[in-house]
Amino acid sequence: MEEGYTSLPTSHLLGSVPAVVAEGKISSTVGQASTGNLQPFPPYDGGYNAPGSPISAQQTTTNWQGIFSISSYTQYFNVDSDVVIDRMISSIYPMNGFDRKIDGNPDLYGPVWISATLIFMLAALGNVGTYLKQKGVDPSTTWIFDVSYINWAACIIFGYALAVPAAFYFLLHYFGHSASLIRLWCMWGYSLFVFLPTCLLLVVPMAVFQWIITILSGAVSSWFVTLNLKAYAQASDMMVLLVSAMVLQFALALFIKIFFFA
Amino acid sequence: MSHEDTIPLHHSSQSDIDEIENLFIAGPHSATVLPARPPSPTRVSIPVSHSSPPLPPYQKVTPSSSPPPVVPAVPAAPSGSSRVGVAADAFGSSPDTLTEPVWDTVKRDLTRIVSNLKLVVFPNPFREDPGRALRDWDLWGPFFFIIFLGLTLSWSASVKKSEVFAVAFAILAAGAVILTLNVLLLGGHIIFFQSLSLLGYCLFPLDVGALICMLIGNAIVRIVVVSITLAWSSWAAYPFMSAAVNPRRKALALYPVFLMYISVGFFIIAID
Repeated sequence: MEEGYTSLPTSHLLGSVPAVVAEGKISSTVGQASTGNLQPFPPYDGGYNAPGSPISAQQTTTNWQGIFSISSYTQYFNVDSDVVIDRMISSIYPMNGFDRKIDGNPDLYGPVWISATLIFMLAALGNVGTYLKQKGVDPSTTWIFDVSYINWAACIIFGYALAVPAAFYFLLHYFGHSASLIRLWCMWGYSLFVFLPTCLLLVVPMAVFQWIITILSGAVSSWFVTLNLKAYAQASDMMVLLVSAMVLQFALALFIKIFFFA
Repeated sequence: MSHEDTIPLHHSSQSDIDEIENLFIAGPHSATVLPARPPSPTRVSIPVSHSSPPLPPYQKVTPSSSPPPVVPAVPAAPSGSSRVGVAADAFGSSPDTLTEPVWDTVKRDLTRIVSNLKLVVFPNPFREDPGRALRDWDLWGPFFFIIFLGLTLSWSASVKKSEVFAVAFAILAAGAVILTLNVLLLGGHIIFFQSLSLLGYCLFPLDVGALICMLIGNAIVRIVVVSITLAWSSWAAYPFMSAAVNPRRKALALYPVFLMYISVGFFIIAID
C-alpha cells in the first residue's frame, strides 16, 4: 500500500524532476543498482524474539488496558518449533528437567494446542473406540457419530487445564508460597501430552490392554506433575497438595477411559 | 538526501539532464493528461471486474479523480490471466452505490467472491504473496462457505441434526478467529480480517468434498474424496500462513490450521 503514495506519476510532467522519496524506488526498479542502503519497513521479524532473550519492556502490560492488547500476550507464545517439541518430549521423560526448561520462558502455546488436539482425538477416537467395542459384542451395530463427545471433551479438557492450575495457584498463595500462574498453566498443559498417544492406543478393543494403558498414562502424567510441584512443596504441609494433584491426574486418566472409550 | 546518497540510474551516467531524459524514456506511457470523461449516471461500473493488470510501482492511479479515469493498459501486459481485483478497487472512489439497483449490488459482491476464490484456492501467479492478492478481502465468501458446510453436515447427519450444525459452525467460526490470533501471538505479521477471509475461502474445497460425500454413501469413496479436498485446502492455506511468521515458527503456525482442517475432514467422513 505505501508505495502508492510515494510513487505518484509526477515524473512524466515536462520539466519536473522525480520526487526525492521515490528516488530509491525508481533507481532500484530501473537500474537494479545496489540496494544496500534501503531498509525494509517494517523490519522483517519485528515481532520476533529469540526464545531465550528477555522481553522488551514495551511489550509487558503496565496498565489495565493492556489486557485488551494482543501484543501483551506475545510473551507467553514466545517459542520456536524445536523448543515446543523439546518440551513435549521431556514431558514424557519426567527425568529430563522440564522445570529448568520452562524457567524464564513458560509458554502457553503448548497447553492451548495440546488441549485442542486432545479434544479432537477424544471426540474422534472415542467414537471409533466405542463403535469397535460394541461391534465386538454385537456385529450388527451400525456406525453412529455422537457429536456430544465434542462438547464433553471441550468442557472437560479446557476446564481441567484452566481450573486445576488456577486452584493450585490460589492454594499455594494461601499457604504462603510464591507461584507463577503462567508456569502452572504451562506445566499442567504439557502434562496432558501423554494422553495423546494414550487415545490412539485406547482404540484397540481389548479391556485388559486398555486398563494397562490407562494406568500407565495416569502414572506418567501424575509423576510429571508431582516432580514439578515438588519445588514448591518443601514444607511437610504441602504433601496434601502433592497427593491431591496426583489423584486429580489419575482421575482424569480414568475419566477418559471410562467416559470416552466405554 | 544528499547527492552522494543517490544511486545512479545507469552505470554510464553522463549528466543530470541526461538522467532525467532517461527517466522520461523509461517512464510511464500514460504521459498525456487524460480527457475528463462525462459522468454517465445510468451505467454503473463494477469496480472489481475491471481486469487491469498490476501496475509498475510509479504508475498508480491518482486517488483524487472521480469518476476514475480509465487506466490505459500497459502494452506488454499478458492478457487473459486471472488478475482480477488486484489493483482495481484499492484506489479511487467507487461510483454512486446508493441509487443502483439491488441486483447490481448483489452481482458485485458475487463477482468479488468469485474473483477472491480464484485468487486463493486456484493456481495463479499471486499465490506467492496471497496477502497482496487478497487486498480486496470480504467476509461474505467465508460466511457462505461456513454456513454451507454446516448445513451440509447437518443434512447428512442421521441424529442430532441441529447440534451438528451448531458444533460445526462454532468450530469453523471460532477456529478462524483463534488461528488468526495464534499467528499474531507468535509474532507474525497479518491483517486480522484479511486472514479471516483467507481461512474462510480455504474451506471451499472441503465444501465441495462435503457435498460429494452427502451424495455418495460408499465409505472408501468418501475417505478418498475427503483426503483429496483436505490436501487441496491445506495447499491453499499453506503459503499464506507460512509467510506470515518467522521461518523457525512455521510449524507452530501451520499445525493448528491442519488440525482444524483434519477435524473438519473427519467430521465429514464420520457423520453419516
